[in-house]
Amino acid sequence: MSSMLPIEVAGESLLLHAEKAVFWPRESTLFVADIHFGKVAAFRRAGLPLPPGSTSAALDRLDRVISDTDTKRIVFLGDFLHNRAARAEQTFARFAQWRAQHAAIDIALVRGNHDAKAGDPPSEWRINCIDEGELVAPFCLAHHPEPAARGYVLAGHIHPAIRLQGRANDGLRLPCFWFGQSVAVLPAFGEFTGTYTVKPKVDDRVFVAAEGRVVEVSGLIGRS
Amino acid sequence: MLKSAVGNWFLSNGWSVFDFQREVWAAYARGESGLIHSATGSGKTLAAWLAPVIAHTGKQSETLPLTVLWITPMRALAQDTRLSLEKPIREMNLPWTIGSRTGDTTSAERARQAKRMPSALITTPESLSLMLTQADAQEQLQHLECVVVDEWHEMIGNKRGVQVELALARLRRWRPSLRTWGLSATLGNMAEAMSVMMGTAGGGHIVEGIHDKKIVIDTLLPSGGEPFPWAGHLGFAMLGEVADEIEATAKAGGSTLVFTNTRSQAELWYQALLAAKPDWAGAIALHHGSLDRDVRNYVEAGLKSGMLMAVVATSSLDLGVDFSPVARVLQIGSPKGVARLLQRAGRSGHAPGQISRVTCVPTHAFEFVESLAAQRAASAGKIEARRPVSIPLDVLVQHLVTIALGGKGGNKGFEHQALLDEVRSTHAFADLTETEFDWALDFVTRGGEALHAYPEYQKVVNFGDRYVVNDGAIGRRHRMAIGTIVSDASMDIRYMNGARLGHVEESFVVRLSPGDAFTFAGKTLELIRVREMTAYVKPAKKIKNLVPQWAGGKMPLSTQLAESVRGVLEDIRQSRAGDAVPPEIAVIERLFRVQRAMSRIPARDELLIEQIETREGYHLYFYPFAGRHVHTGLAALFGFRLGQLTPATFSFTVNDYGFELLSEIPFVLSRGLLDGLFSSDKLLASVLQSLNAAELSKRHFREIARVAGLIFTGFPGAGKTHKQLQATSGLIFDVFAQWDRGNPLLAQSTREVLERELEFQRLQDVLEAMRHQRMTIIRSDRPTPFAFPLMVARLREKLSTESLSDRIARMQAVFEKVA
Repeated sequence: MSSMLPIEVAGESLLLHAEKAVFWPRESTLFVADIHFGKVAAFRRAGLPLPPGSTSAALDRLDRVISDTDTKRIVFLGDFLHNRAARAEQTFARFAQWRAQHAAIDIALVRGNHDAKAGDPPSEWRINCIDEGELVAPFCLAHHPEPAARGYVLAGHIHPAIRLQGRANDGLRLPCFWFGQSVAVLPAFGEFTGTYTVKPKVDDRVFVAAEGRVVEVSGLIGRS
Repeated sequence: MLKSAVGNWFLSNGWSVFDFQREVWAAYARGESGLIHSATGSGKTLAAWLAPVIAHTGKQSETLPLTVLWITPMRALAQDTRLSLEKPIREMNLPWTIGSRTGDTTSAERARQAKRMPSALITTPESLSLMLTQADAQEQLQHLECVVVDEWHEMIGNKRGVQVELALARLRRWRPSLRTWGLSATLGNMAEAMSVMMGTAGGGHIVEGIHDKKIVIDTLLPSGGEPFPWAGHLGFAMLGEVADEIEATAKAGGSTLVFTNTRSQAELWYQALLAAKPDWAGAIALHHGSLDRDVRNYVEAGLKSGMLMAVVATSSLDLGVDFSPVARVLQIGSPKGVARLLQRAGRSGHAPGQISRVTCVPTHAFEFVESLAAQRAASAGKIEARRPVSIPLDVLVQHLVTIALGGKGGNKGFEHQALLDEVRSTHAFADLTETEFDWALDFVTRGGEALHAYPEYQKVVNFGDRYVVNDGAIGRRHRMAIGTIVSDASMDIRYMNGARLGHVEESFVVRLSPGDAFTFAGKTLELIRVREMTAYVKPAKKIKNLVPQWAGGKMPLSTQLAESVRGVLEDIRQSRAGDAVPPEIAVIERLFRVQRAMSRIPARDELLIEQIETREGYHLYFYPFAGRHVHTGLAALFGFRLGQLTPATFSFTVNDYGFELLSEIPFVLSRGLLDGLFSSDKLLASVLQSLNAAELSKRHFREIARVAGLIFTGFPGAGKTHKQLQATSGLIFDVFAQWDRGNPLLAQSTREVLERELEFQRLQDVLEAMRHQRMTIIRSDRPTPFAFPLMVARLREKLSTESLSDRIARMQAVFEKVA
């Protein structure tokens, strides 16, 4: 079973990857939202003793997605660094090492709310920081999922999850890709990020990533 | 000399000194500690308070330094306690000052206390721990002679009790001559309760107070002749009788307290009473823990002054303030436990010499049995024990940071061995291993094994041979989070103009959409929108009731009460037609007649199993009478074990008497099969697996994460600034489970789920008993009266309230034709 599901959006073909990323084959571009790099380190700095591992795990998963695709460019749709305290030595060293392994990939970051506070990543990582609203027709790149006149918005920010109702008291909540009329919201890529349960509208399409594959659940959910 | 002053003071108030009070004063004078066991309103506050007062009388005229700490479990009680302590001081003109320090204390009073402490300080476990984080804690407490722990029975079975134990251990190290006096209502394990309070040093003795206080438990009987409902939870069958009782009590000049088991039941009864008696608006009120503090204060004041004729309440009014006008206490629905019922009875007839009385109001037929069983257990002295908590590492982790913050200069924080010895002197940590202690210490200094390479984690730091907290921000966050009381994530409920009504579980609000109506604070409200953690509402126009499903209503029947229920059933089984029966049984006589005709009433040593086949499938009903927690465990276990023999899916339903397993395929209940079900083989593993214990532990982990300081709940009013440090306990649980699986806090979560939510020990005992019991399997073509409530409980999840009650009535009518 493939870990990617092809769909049509705004006249373009996209591949939804089970590791919670979206690949755009025509432009060899990978979209990743809300990685919240260094969040665990920030918690530790504040005196909350969380075990390490999630930073490496996120990068390992990113490697898996890259090897499944011919990614030449990665666009982080905001909230790349969790906050200033995320700038921990180990975390940074690990990313620098990863960046060196993928030196040929072009990386862009759409600044999100967390990035505004955390500051841009170090310049030696060669990440091109851009503001929301940049157009790569037909897509408008953003962090906040708000409709834009210029194009179909790809965004993150809310860490969407969907509630699937099983038999009595047997509900299940899973992170999801949520494609609306003019805005798509990607699931959070980061390991330690939490989710927010969304209520899609009638014509929206919803996909969940579970057990290594992507499944459309548009027909199985309650609507607002 | 002093004693004569105290004697005169008693006389001038028209009281006489009780023997047990003299006993306490004499023991105190000898330097002893102890636990005073006496009924509410029998003078135990004065027994404890006047002991140190007498010890100081005549010795000096200067105001005393901080000499007595008075620990109360409820800050709402602090004000009342203060008044009771001040009365003798003022009237005898003694050199004591009295103050309180709780979450409600103003900063002005705190500042005054920082300059000069009162001679006696009333405080809560949380505020006491906070005092221990202060730089000058030891100086402030250096003259302490006595700690009084009020309502110790409320704290012994939970982590707040452990918090008190740890604080006492610290105070005793500072003041080796410190005397500890506990006050407690009746528990099944008084001796253990005292040894928990005293710690490993032991000592102390139990002073028996007054027990001839008359407590009456009885049952409100239906006035009409209609058959009483066999099932259901709202139980408005007795609404008219309850209203009559309230009215009669009011005519005699008293108020009535109507206790319910859940908040939603309280809301419903309040509304139902108002619907039945519209002119009572303003004369009756509602009280439960979700209502805003101001609303509760208003209701309490109204009850105290006698302005309110009745208050519908939950356990929020179990404790505390003396409401003298309360002349009548009604308990709606199952009493659940004997101690709880006695406590509620004590809310009436509060003064010495008066009779305390509680009347059970059954909401369905079986509760008549429970009421009778509770009367018998109470008069036989079969009271529940409250088992102390053992080695809760989350509390230890919190305590280490608390102690690392306190003190100053070379005395700041703690030394390894000294604190280990001190912690081990408590009952809770007497068996703490050095490995466990070192893990906890490592966890707060270096984040545990998993974090050793991460220098950015620094909570407690090692400074020479001492462990201290140096980071001001960490100290502030820890002080905000001290304590072990964890409530569900809750949302404020406000009107659009900002007026706050109270709070309700977040999990309830997320199920609502704007426009939905629900009942809260006695009002029907419509949800307008949810912003941040606030649900904005307006009074609803349309009548579409949806009552909040609050947690906490699923308390199981206690072992003592369940035992007594079996005794009542045995009597019914042995009774012959024409025998005189108690009125509770006469009311529901028809139910037992039908049960006998369709199946049987199980003997005390008999396990009854009923098998029924319907269009839904094959039903198995088991009746161990062991409370809903144990039944949940047994139902899941049996379903799991049957499923291993033959692949099948079960659904199960439980109540306090038994449980139902429903499957789509039939099972032949051979002796061999049943022996397999009841086997103790791999019991723990099977129970954990069958109940998806991982999910339960994850949910329970919320409490542990909060106590151990893994969740930062934010500063009040700080809004979004700390959002970046917030994560749900579920997320933290996942991170630990994935990257630090050996973390002892995970194991503690599983252990606490087994103890509290499944009562695993009781489950083991019940299973053991089942292996030896005589077994009777009855096949029936319809659900029996015993099975009926279980079937209804399952249907309730599928049907709306109205159609359900119609359906219950129809089904019951069919059954009654059998009789």
